[in-house]
Amino acid sequence: MKAETPWETRTDFAVVRRSTVWEILTSEKYFKWTLLIPLLVVLAIFMLYPLLYCAYYSFHQWGMRGEAIYVGAQNYRQLLNDKAFLEALYRTLKVLVICVSCELLIGLGLALLWSRNFPGENVVRGLALFPLLVAPLILSLLWNFMFEYDFGAVNLVLQALGLNKVYWWSPERALYTICFITIWQWFPFATFVLVAGLRSLPKDVFEAARVDGASPWYTFRRLTLPMLSPLIMIIVVLRTMWLIRLFDPLYGTTRGGVQTELLDWIVYRTAFVYFDIGYGSTMAIFSLVLTIAVCAVMFKILMKALGGAH
Amino acid sequence: MKYRAWVSIGMVAILVLGFACMVLAQEKFGLKDIPEIKNKKAINMIVETGAAWDKVIEYIKQFETATGVKVNIERVASPVVYSKENVELMAGTGYYDVVYVETSWTCEWSDYLWSLEELAAQYDPKGVEGFQEDIQNISPVLLRCGQAYGKQMVLPFYTYHMGMFLRQDVYDDPTEQAAFKAKYGYDLKPPTSYKELYDQAEFFTRKKGDALKGQPLDHDLYGVAMMAGAYQINDEISCWIWGMGGDYATVVKNPDGTIKEFVITGKDKDALKQALTQYKDLLKFAPAGCLTANFDFACAQQGEGFAIIQPHQFASLFTWTADLLKEKVPDGRLGIYPTIGGQPYTGAWSLGVAKASKNPEAAYWLVRYIASYDCQKVLMKEGGQFSARMDLLLDPEFHSAETEYPLGLTCSYLVDIWKAQAPYVDNYWYFNTKAGGKVYEMQMNVLHKPMADASTIDECIRELVDKTIELTSKFDTVPIREE
Repeated sequence: MKAETPWETRTDFAVVRRSTVWEILTSEKYFKWTLLIPLLVVLAIFMLYPLLYCAYYSFHQWGMRGEAIYVGAQNYRQLLNDKAFLEALYRTLKVLVICVSCELLIGLGLALLWSRNFPGENVVRGLALFPLLVAPLILSLLWNFMFEYDFGAVNLVLQALGLNKVYWWSPERALYTICFITIWQWFPFATFVLVAGLRSLPKDVFEAARVDGASPWYTFRRLTLPMLSPLIMIIVVLRTMWLIRLFDPLYGTTRGGVQTELLDWIVYRTAFVYFDIGYGSTMAIFSLVLTIAVCAVMFKILMKALGGAH
Repeated sequence: MKYRAWVSIGMVAILVLGFACMVLAQEKFGLKDIPEIKNKKAINMIVETGAAWDKVIEYIKQFETATGVKVNIERVASPVVYSKENVELMAGTGYYDVVYVETSWTCEWSDYLWSLEELAAQYDPKGVEGFQEDIQNISPVLLRCGQAYGKQMVLPFYTYHMGMFLRQDVYDDPTEQAAFKAKYGYDLKPPTSYKELYDQAEFFTRKKGDALKGQPLDHDLYGVAMMAGAYQINDEISCWIWGMGGDYATVVKNPDGTIKEFVITGKDKDALKQALTQYKDLLKFAPAGCLTANFDFACAQQGEGFAIIQPHQFASLFTWTADLLKEKVPDGRLGIYPTIGGQPYTGAWSLGVAKASKNPEAAYWLVRYIASYDCQKVLMKEGGQFSARMDLLLDPEFHSAETEYPLGLTCSYLVDIWKAQAPYVDNYWYFNTKAGGKVYEMQMNVLHKPMADASTIDECIRELVDKTIELTSKFDTVPIREE
C-alpha cells in the first residue's frame, strides 16, 4: 500500500484525493513554513526586490528619465578609478577603526567602573544613555554649533581655561571631529552591553582566582576579557555595519565638505542629488559587498570566540 | 440755492463714485475671487518646516472652508524637498498636486508641471488676461526665474535674492573714514569693485585690543563673513561671476528666441577662475569657521559684531542679522547694498501644479491664493519672509518711521535691485536648462574643494566644466560644449 502523503487522502472508495492548499499549509510538516510566509513576503518586497533592482541598475546608465542604457561593467570600472570614491572609502575605513577602537576602550573602561554598585548608579547610567536617545541629526547640529570657532561652547570653555581656541572644522581636523561626535553618541552602547556582560559573569571563577592569588590585571586579562569576547565581537560587528553607513553626523555639520566625505555620503550624493541611479547603485552594491565581507570575517571570529568562551 | 445744492450733491456723488472705482480697481485677488471649484478631490502639497509657514497654514484652512477642497500638508525640511518631489514627479504618481519649487528647478521639472497660463485659460473666469493682470505686481526677476521656455510654470511666494550687508555705523564713523582714507587713498564707502572689497576686508580685520570706532575691541574682528561650506558657496560664486558678466555656461539662442546650445566659453572659465581666486583671497580676512559655514553662521558672525561685511547674503536674512546686531552691539546698524557687479544670485521658493495632479483645478487656485496679496502679507508680517510681490514690499505699512529699519530698507533694496537686474535674468544659464537643479547640487561640492585645499583652483574648474557637461548632456536635450 502506498504511503499517505499530505497531498493525498484515502477514501472509502480507495480513490486518492488531493489535499487542499489549506490542509497542506496547516499540516504538521509544513506549518512552520506557513508561519514564516508573512516575514518572507515582507523581506522579498522590501529587501530582496530593491536589492535586485539596485544590482540591475548597477549595470545600466539611468537618470530616472527615459530608458536605462545597458553599459555592462563600465560603472564598476569607473568606480575603481574614481578618486573621490576611493578617498571616501579610505576615510570610511579610517573612521571605522578610530570609532570602534575608542568606543570599545571607553565602553570597557566605564563598564568595569559601573558594573559595581555605587551611590547614584541609576542616575549616572541613565544620563550616560542620553546621547543614544537623541536623534543623530539633532546631535550633529548641536555639535556643529558647539565646535564653532568664534562662539562655540567648546572654544569658549578653552578660552576661559586660558587655552587657545581650536579650529575644529579645519580640513586637517574635521574628520576627527566627526569621529568624536560619533564616539560620543555611541560609547554608551558598548558600555551597557559590556555592563550587562560583566554582571552575568559567574562569580565562583573570580573567587577561585582570588583565592589562588591572581592579580587584578591577570584576572582581567585571563578571565574577564576572554569571557567578554563574544560580546565584544558583537559590538564590533554591529558597529562596523553601522559605521560603514555613517551619514547623519555629516548632514548636520560639514555636508561632506572639508575632506570629510564618507562612503554613504558619496552614494547619497550620486544617487539622490545627481540622480545618477546607475552609478549610485554601483556604489551602493560595493558598499553592501564590503559590509558583508567585513562582517563575515568578523562573524567567523565571533563564532570562534563564542566557542572559546564556552 | 437749489441749483447749488444739486451741484454739491453731484460733486460729492462723483467723488464717492470715483473713490469707489479706485478702490475697486486696486482690489487685489483674494479668496472671494476664487470661483466654485467643481473637482472636490483632496490635494496634497509639501511645505517647508519653520515659522514662516505656520500662519499661512491657517490661511490655507480658510481656502479649504471656502472651496470645500481638503488640502493635505506634508512638512519637510527644505534640503529634502527636491529629492522627495523629484521622485514623485518623475514617476508621475500625482502624489503632490501642488509642487514646492526652487526656481532653479523650474526648467528641469517643466515636463511635469502645468503651465499656469494653460490652467488659467481652463479654470479662470477672467482667463489668461486676469491671471497676467494679477501677477504684474510680482517681481519681474522672480517671474522670469519661474518660467520655462516662455511659459509661466510657477508663482514665487518668497525670495532669497542676495545682497551685500555691511556695518553702516562703522562706515559712517569719521575715525574709520579718516583712517581708511589715510591708508588707501580713497573714501570709505560700500565697495563696488573687488579691489575695494579686498581693501576694506583687510582694513577691518583686527585683533582683540585694537580699536574700532575709537573703542578697544574685546574680541578679534574679521573684515568679511562668508559661506565657504559645501552648501551655499555656489550662490556666492554666482553673484561673483554674474557680476563679471560671466556664467557657468553661456546660453546661445536662435533668432526666434529658442535655445540653440550652451557653450562654456573661455570668458566663462576666466570669470570663474577670477571669482574663485578672489574668493579664496578674501578668506584670509574671514573667520576660520567660514570653511563649514552656511547662512546662519555668516549672519551670526556679523550679528555678534565679529564681522563687518557679508559680501553676499540672502536679503531675507537682513532683518534677523540687524536685530541680532542691535542686541549685541546696541549702536550697531547695518546697510544693504548690491553685490559687486550688481547682479546678485536670485530666486524664490515658488509653487506650481503637477501635470499628474488628480485635481489641477483646486491646485491652481491654491497656488494663486498663496501668491495673493493677503497670503503674502501674512507670510511677510508673521513669517518673517520677504514677499515676491512688489506692491506688498512698497506697502506704506513697511515704510513707517518704526518699520523703515531694517524692514523697509530691505524692501526698498529688493524692489530697486529687481528693476536693475531684470534685463539680465533671461540669459542666466540656471534658468534656461533642465539640468539646473543637478548642476546646482554638484557645484556645492566642487566649488568648496579649493577653499578647503582639497583641490587647486584649476582642478576645480576642470571638474566643474566636466561635470556640468556630463550632467547637462544627461538631463537636458539642449547640446552643450566647451569652447
